[in-house]
Formats: sequence, C-alpha cells, structure tokens
Amino acid sequence: MNALLPLWSFVVRTSVKWPILQTLAPFVPVVALWWAVAAWGPFPPAFFPSPADVVAKFVSLMEKGILPEYLGDSVARLAIGAAVGIGLGVPLGLWIGLNKSAHRALWPVLLFFQAIGDIAWLPILIIWFGFGLTTMTFVIVYTVLFPVILNTVLGVRSVRIELHRAAQSLGASPARIVGEVVVPGALPNIMTGLRNGLGYGWRALIAAEMIVGTSGIGFLMFDARRAGSVTEIVLGMIVLGILWYIVDAWILAPIEQATGRRWGLVTQ
Amino acid sequence: MKSLSLKNLAKTYFDAYKGEHVTAIRDVSLEVPAGEFVSIVGPSGCGKSTILNMVAGFIPHSGGEILVGGTPVKGPGPDRGVVFQSFALFPWKTVLDNVGFGPKMRGVPKAERDAIAREYLALAGLSHAADRYPNELSGGMQQRVGVVRALANEPDVLLMDEPFASVDAQTRMTLQDELSRIWEERRPTVVFITHDVPEAVFLANRVVVLSKGKVLAEVEVPISRPRVWDRLVADDEFKDLSNQVLALVRSA
Amino acid sequence: MERTSRISAALIFIAPLAVLVALWAVVVPVFGVRPQIFPSVPAVGRAGLDSILDGSLLRHVAASVSRVAIGTVLAVLVAVPLGILMGVSRGVSAFLTPLMRFFSVLAGIAWIPIATLWFGYGFGAIVFVIFNAVFFVVAYNTLLGVSTIPMTLRHAAASLGAGRQAMLTDVLLPGALPNIVTGIRTGLGFAWRGLIAAEMIATDVGLGYMLFVARDFYQTEVIVLGMIVIGTLWLLIDRLILVPLERATIERWGLVSA
Ligand SMILES: Nc1ncnc2c1ncn2[C@@H]1O[C@H](COP(=O)(O)OP(=O)(O)OP(=O)(O)O)[C@@H](O)[C@H]1O
Ligand SMILES: [Mg+2]
Repeated sequence: MNALLPLWSFVVRTSVKWPILQTLAPFVPVVALWWAVAAWGPFPPAFFPSPADVVAKFVSLMEKGILPEYLGDSVARLAIGAAVGIGLGVPLGLWIGLNKSAHRALWPVLLFFQAIGDIAWLPILIIWFGFGLTTMTFVIVYTVLFPVILNTVLGVRSVRIELHRAAQSLGASPARIVGEVVVPGALPNIMTGLRNGLGYGWRALIAAEMIVGTSGIGFLMFDARRAGSVTEIVLGMIVLGILWYIVDAWILAPIEQATGRRWGLVTQ
Repeated sequence: MKSLSLKNLAKTYFDAYKGEHVTAIRDVSLEVPAGEFVSIVGPSGCGKSTILNMVAGFIPHSGGEILVGGTPVKGPGPDRGVVFQSFALFPWKTVLDNVGFGPKMRGVPKAERDAIAREYLALAGLSHAADRYPNELSGGMQQRVGVVRALANEPDVLLMDEPFASVDAQTRMTLQDELSRIWEERRPTVVFITHDVPEAVFLANRVVVLSKGKVLAEVEVPISRPRVWDRLVADDEFKDLSNQVLALVRSA
Repeated sequence: MERTSRISAALIFIAPLAVLVALWAVVVPVFGVRPQIFPSVPAVGRAGLDSILDGSLLRHVAASVSRVAIGTVLAVLVAVPLGILMGVSRGVSAFLTPLMRFFSVLAGIAWIPIATLWFGYGFGAIVFVIFNAVFFVVAYNTLLGVSTIPMTLRHAAASLGAGRQAMLTDVLLPGALPNIVTGIRTGLGFAWRGLIAAEMIATDVGLGYMLFVARDFYQTEVIVLGMIVIGTLWLLIDRLILVPLERATIERWGLVSA
C-alpha cells in the first residue's frame, strides 16, 4: 500500500499539470482489463476483439479513407441538424414564449410531437422520401428542434417581468426588448436546449444511419454487424464516444456554463 | 423636470381566481409640482404599488387621469424613470452598460453614453464597479446602480417603489443620505413609496398617507436641507413629524 | 374546486390537439391525399379498433412496455448502489467521472449492433440496450449527486454519531436522490428511443416492429396509429410518473440541480 502512495501522488501532480491526463487516466485500467479479457478470457476473438485488433482496424479504415469519409458525413449531418434546429427553433421559441395565445395553442401540440420521438417517424419518412439523405436530415432536424423550442420558451418565460418593465421605462421598443432582454435572459435555457437536442439528435442520427443510411458511422457499425465483424462495431462505438465526448465536454458544456455563470443565472 | 398630476384616479382589478372585481384605488387626486419630492406611505395592501405601476404605465388605470407635464400617460416611457424594489438590473450587462441602457435606447453613440454612465456612477461613488456584473455586487451597491440607471436617462419624473426595503438597516441609511444629496443636486420630481415612515419624512418635501385606496392626509415637511441622518436623528422637528405621520398610518 | 380546475386544465391542454385532429380530418379528403401517403382519420380509427379487437395492439404495447420496465428496473438496481459507492470518495469519483461520462455518452442506440451480435435478435438484445441506456446515465448522475453533497453535511452527520450504515441511508442516498431521479428521466428518454429503434431492427413484436412492418405494406394508417400510441405512452410515462417524481424530490427539499 505504502509503495503505491508515491505513485498516486505522481498521478495527482501530473494530472494537475496536464488536465487532459486526468480525463485519459481512468481509461488506462479499462483498456488493460479489456486487453486481458480478450487475451485470456473465454471469448473467441470473433466475438470479443482485443484493443490491438481495433487499432489495426482503425489504421486500415483510415488508410482506405472510409472512416474519415463516414465520420465527415455523420458530423456534417449533425451540423446541419444543429444549424436548422437553432435557426428554426429559437425564433419559434421566442414567438411562442412571448405570445400568450400562441403558447396556449401550440404548447400541447409541441409536447405531443416531442413525445412521438424522432425514430418513430422513420417508417413513414421512408415511405415519403425513400432511404437516404432527406429522411435522415428530417429526423435530425426534428430531434434537435423540439428541445430547442421547448427550452427557449421556458427561458423566455423565466425572464422576470420587472426586467421587461425596467427596459420599457428606459425607453426600449418591443423589438429592442427582445434583443436586449428576452434573448440574453433566455440564453442559458437555449444553450441547455441545444445541448439536450444535440444529445438526442446524435442518437437519432445513429439510428437513422443504421436503418436507412448508406454512409456514416451508424451505417459502418450496422454494416459490420451484417458482416459479423465485431471489431468494426467496437471501433465505431469508440469513435462515436470520443466524438461526442469532445463536442459535449469541450464545446457545449463550457458554453452552457459560460453564458450563465458570471451573470449569476447558473448556480452550481 | 415636469410636474405630475393625478386626477380622480381609480383602479379595479379582476381577480380571476375568485371571479370578482377588487377595488384597489377608489379616488386619488394628487399634485406633484416639478422638482418636488413626494413620499407615499400607508399600510400594506392600501394600493401604493398600484398607483406607482399606473403612473409608470405598466398597468392601465380604470378611471381618472394621469398627466405628466400636462400630457396623459399611455404606457411606459422614458419620461418616467422607475427604481424597483428588486433592483431589476440586467444580469447580462455590466454596471456600465446597465447605466448606459437608457441613452443607448435613445441612440446615443457608445463613447458618449459610456461618458454619461461614468458621470452618474461617480455621483453614487460607484466608479470602481463599472466593469462588474450586478451579480458580483452587494445588495446596497445594486440598488445604487438601480437609482443611477434611472437618473442617467434624465426622466421628467422618478418613480421609486420601496427601493431600499431589501437592504440592511445600515446600508439603508447610507442610501437615504445619498439619495437626499443627489436630489438636492439635481432636483428631479420624485414619487417615493415606502413602508418606513422615518424614511418617508427624511426624504420628502411632502408625505402623502394612503388608506384603502384613498388619500387620508398630506403632511408638509418643512425641515431644512441639506438633510443628513447625523443631524436628523436627534432633531425634534423631525421626530414630531415622524410621530405625526406614524399616528396617521396607524389610524389608517 | 381543485378537481374542476384540474379537469379544465386538462381540457385546455387537449383542445389544441383536438383542433389538429379536426384539421387532419378535413385536409385529407379535401386534398384527396392518397392513403399510401397519409391515412384519413377514419382509417386510423379502424386500424386502432381492429388491432384492439384482435389483441395485436395490446401484445405490441405489452412487449414494449415490459422490455422498458425490466431493463430500467435492473439498471437502476445496479446503478444506484454502484454510483453511491463510487461517489463516496472524492478521489475515486474524480477519477471515474470521465469514464462514466464516456459510457453515458454511448448510452442506448450505439449498443444495438453489438447487442444483437452477442444476444441474437430478440428479447435479450433489446433489454440489454435499454439496460445500457439507463445504467450509465443513472450511475453517472448518482456519482455526481453524491459528490456534490457538501462535506460539511457529511461531517455534521458524522459528528452527530452517524455510522457507515446511517451515513448511507440518511445522508448519501437522500442527498443524491434528486440527481438520481433526473438521471432516470434522462436515461429513460434515451431508452425509449433506443427501444423503438431496436424493435425496428431486431424483433418480431413491439411497437417499433409494428411500425416497421407496416411500412413494408404501405399501411400508413398502422404507422400513424403506432406513432400516436408511442407519443401518448411516453407522455403518460413522463407526465404521470417521471415529472411528479422529479418534482417531489427536487422541489420538496428545495434542492435545485442546475
Ligand atoms: N394583479 C392583481 N390582481 C388582483 N388584485 C390585486 C393585484 N395587484 C394588487 N391587487 C390588490 O390590490 C390591493 C393593493 O395592492 P398594492 O400592491 O398596490 O398594495 P401596496 O400598498 O403596494 O402593498 P405593500 O405595502 O404590501 O406593497 C391589494 O388588496 C391587492 O390584493
Ligand atoms: Mg407594494
């Protein structure tokens, strides 16, 4: 035990210096365990590939250019979903949040369509648009859109009435109030909505790529499943995990925190 | 500076929960000449906030007239500056940008409105806090910003609804000293609502006692200026007037 | 009073949806929409009635709901104790957080291909997917919940004489509960979508399957019926179970998880 203490303090010291190590360190024992199970465990390699197999697969798919291409396709689809989702969702959310009768008429409809969920749309979308890009784009936009709208509405309605009044009595026009008061006040919620929406949208994208896709990481994994190649499936999962980890932990979460923290709108 | 006049003002609310009309203001007439400081006191629920919200234009009135400089009030406008009990600072704007908000809405260019904002911040001794966010200030400092933000827009009438009710007693006295000094310097027309009788007397030229939606009495406050707590705490005239107003409020 | 206001609130909620159905009832015949593109209201009604009478709707719903229920209960039973255990020590929880985060990122759908390879098509694979969707999210949130319980609270409990057992049941578990419930709500959201996707791919009974088979025969009325059932079921689960649960833990104690 005592022999481990210097090692532990070394880990602590280095991880303070390079925070990235703190993120990576816990994966070391997991990969080691995985390796050990693959080497000495009861599973045949076709069923349970070792880390080396996966790395080799990664290298070969990179060389063939398949992985970069599919990754590019998936990320581009997600980006389009995010862009359209924000572009449509924020204005719609502002309108519904600011307009009482629009809210009364549309809120239940929104909740219901959100509850149907993106993936349940796939069968009828296939009938309408066939297998391919339109169907996938529709599913992602649909998935991103609702959390953005719903959270924007919540954000708009959480802006205190005194702030509206303060702006009015300082001479702000209704249009200026939207820009100066409503949008910044709703921003933390909008970011939360975007983060949730992309979390769901990304999963919907994978499902859509599996079921109707002809390219993308989801397609890669499902195609591998048809061919019985566990190695490619595991590679696909790792790529997905890393990709989303980067997007979520390094981009979305810090933005979400930064918008609200200094203003005192986000506690924690 | 402009005068404010209320003529037979009335307000009934519709209470949707009970399904009936509630009369909050029965019949209030009040003249506030340009450059006068008027305090309104009265027991809780007597309609103080209702009057202020109508004058500010936040809620419509059901009867009578509200005139600012002879012009009827229709909705909120920059001619009437408001200071809120809950401060109502924009959390996403720095102190400087909060104070510069009114000039910005008037279309004053950035450099010029920053200069205006800095001048007013200096007036309240807040120059050092210009680049901070409201969330990073104490309650007393936040309300100083609230007052200064309303002033920086140079309104014709300044409306304040219990602005110092949510700061501690020590800070409140400092803020009262400061407001008194600022008023003496700039002489704005002020309607100041409060629960606190000594505060009302300390600040005002005239105290209006409100009861159940009507004006019960008006008390002139001839105490000389400048007024500071150091002098007034022991002042007999101040004590007598306070007791007189307090008795009226008790009877209301 | 309470009763009538709740009923009127429900009516106000339903009214816009009724308008939507009315619009649908008018638009389809007026524009002569072909049934292969979008079904008419009576067609969906008939499909609903048929599937109720021959018992198939009940069979699909029962299959889907039981899979979600089993997968979720199993996952919560394992995830909560594990999450608390991992969260007890600051060092351990800081060390494990990135790991849990990585796996909760993968929750649900991404496990479908490997699950179907390991377990074959059917019940096992689908429950595995749901288990995964719920497990990692709940474990991660529990870990988070325990690690945000203020140290002062633990010290206070210890100085009042709380032993290991009491610390667990009276401080750590209740303290982490709001996070746990939030985790369950999020995880179940992923699980529900994962379920539909998995059922489209890997089974011969369940709502997802019902939808996907109907597609082969251009039975849009069955598809739309299935979508309505899925939406309604989720609304019921979310509004009648999850939201009240979340509210009860978070609002009651005034704990707010940002
Ligand atoms: N929106 C409203 N709907 C119905 N009744 C209202 C509404 N706002 C105020 N009232 C009623 O009008 C009366 C006057 O309220 P107001 O807020 O003006 O009192 P106040 O003198 O400011 O009280 P306080 O000193 O507690 O702030 C009260 O009886 C109150 O219940
Ligand atoms: Mg009031």
